[in-house]
Amino acid sequence: MLVTEAQGKALLRAAAVTTPSSHELRSLDEVRDCRVDFPVAVKAQVAAGGRGKAGGIRKANSPSELESAFDAIMGMRFGGEAPSSVLVESWLDIERELYLAVAIDSRVGGFNVLYSPRGGINIEDGPPPLSYPVGLARNFRAHAFRALLEPVESDAKVRERVISTARRLLEIAQANECTTVEVNPLVVCRGGALIAADAKVALDDAASFRRAATAAAIAAARDKAEREIRLCEEANLMLVWLDGEIGLISGGAGMTMAAMDAIDGAGAHPACFLDVSGNPTPAGFGLAFDLLDRAPNVKGILVSMFGGGLHTDRVAKTLVELLARRASAKPVTLRLNGTRSDLATTILGEAGYRNHATLEVAVADIVKKVAGARS
Amino acid sequence: MSILLDADVRVLIVGITGKFGTFSVKDLAQSHTRVVAGVAPGRGGQAIEGIPVFSSVAAAMQETHANAALIYVPAMVALDAVLETIEAGCPLIAYPGDGLPVLDAMEMRAAALEHGAHLVGPNSPGLISPGKAKLGFMPSFCYAPGPIGVISRSGSLSYEACFRLSQAGLGQTSVIGIGGDPVRGVNAAEAIALFHDDPETRAIIYLGEIGGSEEYALAEYAKRPDAKPSAALLVGRTAPAGKKMGHAAAMIGSYAESWAAKVEALDRAGVVIARDLDGLPAAAASALARTMKPAA
Repeated sequence: MLVTEAQGKALLRAAAVTTPSSHELRSLDEVRDCRVDFPVAVKAQVAAGGRGKAGGIRKANSPSELESAFDAIMGMRFGGEAPSSVLVESWLDIERELYLAVAIDSRVGGFNVLYSPRGGINIEDGPPPLSYPVGLARNFRAHAFRALLEPVESDAKVRERVISTARRLLEIAQANECTTVEVNPLVVCRGGALIAADAKVALDDAASFRRAATAAAIAAARDKAEREIRLCEEANLMLVWLDGEIGLISGGAGMTMAAMDAIDGAGAHPACFLDVSGNPTPAGFGLAFDLLDRAPNVKGILVSMFGGGLHTDRVAKTLVELLARRASAKPVTLRLNGTRSDLATTILGEAGYRNHATLEVAVADIVKKVAGARS
Repeated sequence: MSILLDADVRVLIVGITGKFGTFSVKDLAQSHTRVVAGVAPGRGGQAIEGIPVFSSVAAAMQETHANAALIYVPAMVALDAVLETIEAGCPLIAYPGDGLPVLDAMEMRAAALEHGAHLVGPNSPGLISPGKAKLGFMPSFCYAPGPIGVISRSGSLSYEACFRLSQAGLGQTSVIGIGGDPVRGVNAAEAIALFHDDPETRAIIYLGEIGGSEEYALAEYAKRPDAKPSAALLVGRTAPAGKKMGHAAAMIGSYAESWAAKVEALDRAGVVIARDLDGLPAAAASALARTMKPAA
C-alpha cells in the first residue's frame, strides 16, 4: 500500500537521503504557529498518485497565502481520498529534475532501479527511464549501474551522487519491505547537491506480520476506508467498486475479471469486482447481496461461480435460503458450474430458480432483465 | 512428455498434518499421483493416511527417494520450508500459498535458480500434467491429456479455461500456474522455454491479466522464427487503473501494464488473441492449426 509523502520522506531521512526542510501541518492553528522562510511549497498528503496534476501542490509567498493554500488543499479530494495533512517545505532552487526509483519488477524477479535525467511531473510522457535489473538488493553493483548511466547522464558528479542515492533507496526498500521507493523529482540544486523533493513509497502488505509500521499503516487505511470496503476485508471478500449497473458476485480474481469483461462484451457494465471465493458461506454471500442490494447504481445481480474445490450444491443451498428472505426486488441471475453442478441445478430448480449453463448465457440473461426493468 | 511433472513422480508433502496437506494426500491419490512421504517437524515416525511422516525434508528424501515437493505451510514460515526443500536437493517444488512477502519470494526464486530447482508459485494452484500426475490442488476434472501447454497467472481462470478447452477436445500436455504475485519461481519466460523444449507440446496458451509485465515475455517469444504457435486470453479489459484486482500483481500502474498495451504487443507478435473466455477454444484451435505437421 502507498503511504504519504511525509511518511516516505521519514524513511528517506532515516537512511541519510537529503529532503527539504519541512513541517507537516494538520490544522489552521498549526499553520499560524509555523515559522518558515517564504516562499514555500504546500503539498497535500494523500496516499494516491496524480496529486500534482490535480492541483494538490501550491506555492505560497506569505503567511496569508499559506493559510489559503492550506484551506484549499484540505477541502480537495484525490482519488476519493481527503488529505490527512499538508506538508510545507522550503521552495527549492532547482537546476534540474531527475527521476530515480527502485521497484519490484515481475520480469526481473526482484528490484529494478529506474533512472531518467529528465524527471518531474511529465515523466510518463517522455522516453522510458533507464532500467538496471538488480534482483536481490545485495546484488546491486555501483560499477554495473555506472556503465549503464554513462551514456544517459553526462554529468559525472551527478552520476556518482545518483549511484550512491540508488544504493540507499535499495537499502530502504529492503529494510522496510517496500515494493516501490520512487523519488520524482530528485532535484539537482544550484551547487550540485541532490535533494529528494518528493517520495512515493509503497509498503508490502504481505509483510505486515513482521513489520509493525506496515501493520499500522494498513490499520489506519482500513479506518479511513469506506464502510463497505472495510466490511468486505473483515469478511475475507474482495471488493472494488466500478461505475456500471450489473452487480457481480464471482469467485477467484481471474474469473471475476473474466466475468467483468464478459458483461462488457454483452454491452453492459460491471458495478463491481466482488470475489467471494475467500468466504463462500451464508455470511459471505449474505454480505455480498446486502451491499449490492443497497447500492443505488446496481440494477441487477449476477452470481457466477465455477466450482473447482468449491461444491456448487452447497452454494445453491446457501443462495436458496438467502433469496427466500431477501427484500430487494432487483433481478438476479445464477450460474453455478463445475463440481456438483447437477445437484446445484436440481436444488435451484426445486426452489424455482434457473441455473444457467454458461457464463455467457447468464450474462445475456441479467443484461436483458436489467434492460427490461428500465424500459 | 509434459513439462517438469511426469507419471513417475514421487511426491512429498511438507505440512502434511495440516488441513490442506491431509486433503492433498487423498486428492493426489485420486489423480493417480504417488505420494511417498510427508514432513512435519516433531511428527517424524507417525503416518497420515498411510503415508510415513518425517521430521525433515532431507530425511524424507533419503528414505523415500521423493523427487517433487508440495508445500502447505503458512506464509510466515514458507521461506524456511522452501529453502529446506531446495537445499535438500529436491528438483521440483510447488508452493501454492498466498500472502507471501515479496522479499521472501525473491529469496525463494534466487535459491531455486542457484540450485537448479524449479519452484512453482507462490499464489498458484500448482502444476498438472493431465492423465499423468499433479502437484497442486487444481480440480482434476477440468483437464484432459492433449497437445496444448497452458501457462496461467490465475487459478480460477485456469480451471474454467482448461475445462472449456477439454470440452472442446483440446487437451493439455501440462498446465502450470505461475501465480498471481509479482515475484514467482518459474516465470512466464521460463515456462514458455519449458514448453518450447517439450516435443509433445504443439501450441502454447497463455492466460494473463492486467498489471505487471510477464505477458511481454510471450510477445518476445512469439517473434522468434522457431516459436511454437501461441494464443492468449488476458482478463481485466474493464478494470480501472490504480486498483488492485484481487491478485497482488493485478494492478495497472502504467500504460504498459494495461490490457490494450499488452494485447497490442501480443497481436503484433503473431499471438492469436481471445478477446474473452468464450473465444478461447477457437483461438487455441486456430493456434494449434498453425503447427507444422511432423514429417511422416
